[in-house]
Amino acid sequence: MMRRRLLAAVAAVGALALTATACGGGGTSGGDGGGEGLQPGDTIRWMSTVHTPTTPEADGPIETALEEHSGATFDIEWVPAPSYSEKINAVLAANQLADVTGLSPLDNSAIRNALGSGMFWDVEPYLSEFDNLSQINELTIDGARIDGVLYGVPIQKVIARYGVLVRQDWLDNLGLEEPHTLEELAEVARAFTEDDPDGNGVDDTTGILDRAESFQLTFRTIAGYFGAGDKIELDENGQLVASFDTPAFKEAMEWYRELYQAGYVNQEFITLQKTNQQDAIAQGRGGIVITGLFEAKNYMALAENADPNTPMAWALINDMTYADVPRRIVSDTGGGVGGVLAISKENVPTEEGLRYVLGFIDSLLDEEAFDLMTNGIEGTHYELDGDGVVTITDQTAWEQQVQPYSSSRPSDTVVTYPSATPYVDEGNALMAEQAEFAVINPASGLSSDAYDRSWSTIWTTVQDAYFQYMDGQIEMADYEAVVEATYSQGLEEILTELNEAYAAANG
Amino acid sequence: MSAPTLTRPVEHARLDRSPKPARARGFRKTIWRHRTLYLMAIPGIAYFLLFKYLPMGGLAIAFQDYQPFLGISGSPWVGFEHFVRFFTEDTFFMLLRNTLVVSALLLVFAFPVPIVLALMLNELRGRVFKRSVQSVIYLPHFMSWVIVVSLFYVLLTTDRGAINNLITALGGDSISFLTDPDWLRPLYVLQNIWKSAGWGTIVYLAAMTAVDTSLYEAAELDGAGRMRQSWHITLPAIRPVIVVMFILSIGDILELGFEHMYLLLNSLNREVAEIFDTYVFTAGLQNGQLSYGTAVGLFKGLVGLILVVLANRMSKKFGEEGVY
Repeated sequence: MMRRRLLAAVAAVGALALTATACGGGGTSGGDGGGEGLQPGDTIRWMSTVHTPTTPEADGPIETALEEHSGATFDIEWVPAPSYSEKINAVLAANQLADVTGLSPLDNSAIRNALGSGMFWDVEPYLSEFDNLSQINELTIDGARIDGVLYGVPIQKVIARYGVLVRQDWLDNLGLEEPHTLEELAEVARAFTEDDPDGNGVDDTTGILDRAESFQLTFRTIAGYFGAGDKIELDENGQLVASFDTPAFKEAMEWYRELYQAGYVNQEFITLQKTNQQDAIAQGRGGIVITGLFEAKNYMALAENADPNTPMAWALINDMTYADVPRRIVSDTGGGVGGVLAISKENVPTEEGLRYVLGFIDSLLDEEAFDLMTNGIEGTHYELDGDGVVTITDQTAWEQQVQPYSSSRPSDTVVTYPSATPYVDEGNALMAEQAEFAVINPASGLSSDAYDRSWSTIWTTVQDAYFQYMDGQIEMADYEAVVEATYSQGLEEILTELNEAYAAANG
Repeated sequence: MSAPTLTRPVEHARLDRSPKPARARGFRKTIWRHRTLYLMAIPGIAYFLLFKYLPMGGLAIAFQDYQPFLGISGSPWVGFEHFVRFFTEDTFFMLLRNTLVVSALLLVFAFPVPIVLALMLNELRGRVFKRSVQSVIYLPHFMSWVIVVSLFYVLLTTDRGAINNLITALGGDSISFLTDPDWLRPLYVLQNIWKSAGWGTIVYLAAMTAVDTSLYEAAELDGAGRMRQSWHITLPAIRPVIVVMFILSIGDILELGFEHMYLLLNSLNREVAEIFDTYVFTAGLQNGQLSYGTAVGLFKGLVGLILVVLANRMSKKFGEEGVY
């Protein structure tokens, strides 16, 4: 009898504990939205993207220093960049937004939908109250508006960062000149593949190193050199058309496929992920990368990590042209807008709360905070010499504790530090120089229901066709047939709606 | 599931003790009588209610034009619009074909492997050797798909993959295992066998321990060799287990699992690799069509349910027990 009672008691306690935890779980997630919401002084929950493989520990040195500087407390929920859009969609669907959410890119249908749905504060009227936020460039604000409303603090980026990086030491080994046209680049790619540029006597190098995101990064840039735009562009009649259906785009595809099939581009790049691409670069398996001009210093760091005496040296090229097409570069940041920091109305229901959050973002734009998120803490991560030149002293600590924050900075352009690290200053100067040649998507601020509904599906379809064409599974006529078919899958409607919106906005 | 099996023996015990008919006592009385057992069942029941049944309410968004901000109560209802769209698109047949073909391949090639492995293990006499083989073949089960697929990636890529290096060194042309649509299904099945066959033997080995050893002795006296003993004694003895496992796999026929296929999927093999699970993810989450994605998922679930019911009926017809 005793035994039975005991058993019953144990079962009861177990059952209670389980129901209690279950209710508790439900309670917190539900309670977030209700009640008072975020008040000044509360901890701000911030969902942000991270490009590094590791995230800094909570309450690490940078977070502590930033909290001290801003007078606000915050927790960052780090989301790795490759899965950011899925995560955002899941969070939006479950209505479990953080207080501040970094939303990008703004041309993603789900994000536009969410921004337009009224979940977020229209922050424009409040910007003028803050020292730094009131200074944001009008053009950037323009680019960040969705249908005329600014649903978050624009994240400010350099307008055009992409360019071509070529192994300078390989060029020297082969006695080649730095390429400035695509014709010259093709020849360099051939030589890098066939002429043993690293002089080790083994056929183990290729020209261009591309990766799985080719269609929206590397190839977009190449197509840009041929004269294509960024997703949507204006044709000579002033009509908006899809870039992937322009002659320039197809010409670029033909050019690139020729290189690929000759083996001058790494084979099967369609399955290559970013970190594997970086490894390949660091190991000297390829000598041309079409990427952000700021990457040269990262590649150097990776290569030096593996071999302190690496012969690696880079030529940074920002004036690549093709035939008689004038110099141009597709903006990889949508004209300097890296998304918006959107503030949830549900979590931050009051104006006081909103001002507290905006004040926090504003303080991150101070030079001091920018310095913390870029270089780290002086003496721990970096040192300054008399000319204000920054030298990272502890690369490992910097990579773990500081680098992750760089993609959370509300602006990349607060200060440009002179740096002792090679290629940093050069990259910055070259990126600034090409801003005037930048090509942007004229439809980025326009909205269209059809676009929100069908664009991503169409994009995936065309991207698949691009890869199949590159791989030789289909020919140009088949690619054109695929593109043609997308018109009836919604592209027609998208273009009509965008043209109407464009005419209304610029009429 | 545990609750009914637990109550049965106790019920007998109670009937033994009280001669009065149970019916007259009423339902409440029965519950009170077995309160301890019901109390013990509460955590399980609560778990299923909270985490399995409650979330099903979310399926409502398959019939809506769901907007997260408006919520389920505020989003407009659109009836079967998403289902109509799904069934009229070409993708539907592609998804159905891909899913069924891969499932069939798994049933034919992957399902028997653990049985054969278990029979072989059963014949091993060296205890230490048997144990170590078991440990080694269980190991892949504990690796995530990400690791399995990455391992195969490193081996199979045309860009300096070990296998392709070997093929070219022997004078052959390198094979695009990872992007060639024809290689996707063999790869999928092979990886599946490699990862789960060892773990799958556990159930069968357990069933084999229950076989009456005197049967083997009798067969030996009649001059039956090892092969004949396996065929005529071990296999028939574990037949109910095989049937149950088979029914369970049929129920999973559309439930290939998202992770594995998603990791193998790329632009070049999408026509054979896109299955319901990956499509729900790309359409629903990546492209933000939440209602549409839910509709596709709901359809998949319904078909799965029908298949389980049918398989169970079949097994009962053939004189086996079935799963319920």
